[in-house]
Amino acid sequence: MSTIKRVQQWATFARIWHIYDAAWQNPFESAKLLRKYLMGMHKPIYHPLNDCGDHVIVINSKDIALPGDEWKKRVYFHHTGYPGGASWTLAWELHTKDPTLVLKKAVYNSMKGNLQRRYTMERLHIFPDSNIPENIMKNVSNQLQQLRPKPTRLDSYDEKYVKEFPKIIDYPKDYILR
Amino acid sequence: MSFFMQNSLRNILNTRILISENIKRNIFASTPLAVKEIRTVENGKDITISAEIIESERKPFLVENNSGHACPLCASGLDVKHTDVLILSQFIRSDGCMMPKRITGLCNKQQRRISSLVTMAQKSGLMPNIAPPNSKRNPQTRFGWKKFNKYFDETTIKSK
Ligand SMILES: [Zn+2]
Repeated sequence: MSTIKRVQQWATFARIWHIYDAAWQNPFESAKLLRKYLMGMHKPIYHPLNDCGDHVIVINSKDIALPGDEWKKRVYFHHTGYPGGASWTLAWELHTKDPTLVLKKAVYNSMKGNLQRRYTMERLHIFPDSNIPENIMKNVSNQLQQLRPKPTRLDSYDEKYVKEFPKIIDYPKDYILR
Repeated sequence: MSFFMQNSLRNILNTRILISENIKRNIFASTPLAVKEIRTVENGKDITISAEIIESERKPFLVENNSGHACPLCASGLDVKHTDVLILSQFIRSDGCMMPKRITGLCNKQQRRISSLVTMAQKSGLMPNIAPPNSKRNPQTRFGWKKFNKYFDETTIKSK
């Protein structure tokens, strides 16, 4: 067995800890990616009855992004079981209460409702910011690539760089600046 | 001729001279490509408002439009997205409003597309430093759902 094959063997049977930066990522697109690693579907030995899933740490979950006006259109339903116990919570209200719940529910709902789902969710660790406990951070050995590029704000660029960036239009003659 | 008539005639002549002087002052041998900046200087009780003719600071960085017929954006061949704030900020004024077509010089289609993209970028909070002076610059201090990150799909822009 060559060295590469041996390391692949270890990586397959060990529980790898992945880290994922959720800043400016769609939670529902991310859920499909995270599900794959949590259930171990990226491994050649995957089987539904084979407990081979990895751990995933998600950071900056408070900075997730939704498309368009979905923050005020997406609704989370809950019923207490009593008459009149129904409640509807908008995504932005839920995110204000707990900045990890939208992502957690997205991952939970992306998986099939079987007996394994609760155990798989135990391997998902979501943090609203990038402050992770040291004992968890020291396990990490892989970073998952973000699905969409993080946009750069105009005020974060250097002022000189903005001024000297190639200009497409110039002001017309005698234009009054304002 | 009475004294009054003479006086009024002199007035008319004087104003004519003044008008012709004004015309003379406005005629240039070459076209001056300059922009004006309104400067307000407050000195105690006196407020001086003056329009200073300055050189456009974009001139050395302008991309040349060699096509002759196409608008500057069509000629550049760029596929602008709402996250390209360095390009979108060239089409807006200091308070964040879109410049009209006669100033941007874009064609109908691009003008509509760029104004949609500017709105998208502003809703995403990507150009917080170009906004009305009394607005909340930091997107995280906005009300309710507006304070959270959002992105847009450019294919939702309607184009003829
Ligand atoms: Zn055009």
